[in-house]
Amino acid sequence: MIFRAVEDADLIGKARQGEVEAYNLLISRWEKRVYNYLLRIVGEREEALDLSQDVFLKAYQNLRKLDDPARFAPWLFRIAHNEAFSSFRKRRPEGELPDQAQFPGDEIPAGGPAAFPIELSIAVTTALGKLSPEHREAVILKIYQGFKFEEMAEILECPVSTVKSRLYTALDVLKAQLAPLKSRGVT
Amino acid sequence: MSCSPFDLRDYLFGELAETDRRQVDQHVRSCSHCHEDLERLRLTHSTLLALRDEEVPQRIGFVSDQVFEPSLMRRAWRAFWESSARLGFASAAMLSAALVIFAFFRPAAAVSVAVTDTAKIEQQVSERVTAAVEKAVAESEARQARKTAEMLQVAEQRFDEQRAADMKNVSDTIEVIQKRYNVRETLLARAMEEPK
Repeated sequence: MIFRAVEDADLIGKARQGEVEAYNLLISRWEKRVYNYLLRIVGEREEALDLSQDVFLKAYQNLRKLDDPARFAPWLFRIAHNEAFSSFRKRRPEGELPDQAQFPGDEIPAGGPAAFPIELSIAVTTALGKLSPEHREAVILKIYQGFKFEEMAEILECPVSTVKSRLYTALDVLKAQLAPLKSRGVT
Repeated sequence: MSCSPFDLRDYLFGELAETDRRQVDQHVRSCSHCHEDLERLRLTHSTLLALRDEEVPQRIGFVSDQVFEPSLMRRAWRAFWESSARLGFASAAMLSAALVIFAFFRPAAAVSVAVTDTAKIEQQVSERVTAAVEKAVAESEARQARKTAEMLQVAEQRFDEQRAADMKNVSDTIEVIQKRYNVRETLLARAMEEPK
């Protein structure tokens, strides 16, 4: 008997044939990543969960359009990206995108005792919230989701040079924002 | 400004090829400035990673609904039509089957007989059509003549009746005038005879 890990491609194939349980298994593999990506983009848990459900529903409805099952991750995150920015546009018809308004926290204090993990987490959330949605998304896709530049370009539908420019600009801002915290050290 | 042969950020994010990575490794070991730059980048990166992933508050899942799920037959049907390879194979199979059936059941001698009979059939059809048309025209003309005669007879009858009625009217009128004239003559004669 030969054991083989069930690949995403196997589950996609079965889901395409109408096996809902195979698709549920696929969701269980990806829901945490998609949810956290959306949470860091929109900044609200409830909305992130609603959008995650929409993303997986749309993915199921369009699964037949996925040409290469090996490209499932960028394809899924492309849907998530569209859902997140579509939600922004619905909330703000004028086309204004959210910035730090959704994200808690104020300026990061310099000096004082070493930062606790929770404090660090809040500080990072605040720093991310100060970025524009495009810059924030570039950081999230690279640092938290670990996508390659080519995959990010596929998700964001823009050239790799644009992706790198957004990410490195965001990193410069974050470096400046988080410098006071780093000077205090982390417990 | 970094003097590294490649972008330290590309190095940090693992976007460099193996040979390029090795060059950066060697450079960073010898260049303290680039070493510090890389350490700062690593520190920022590790600080950002302090933000942990959250658990999904509610599991996402779909339930199979027999009402909305396509039946097995429908799924097979859709799968057949959405597969160009299957369609191509089916088309080729049908074409082959048609060729085989045609080869076995072809009516061999019928072609020459049909060619010779065609002129005869056309002539017969033409004769029949001509006869039918002539018959229909004759019947139509006879019907028309009969109808005309009937109408003429009715018209003459009405004319005679009308004429007789008119003559009677004239005769009656003359008789009335004559009677009035007689009465008038009588009255005049009486008036002349009476003594004044």
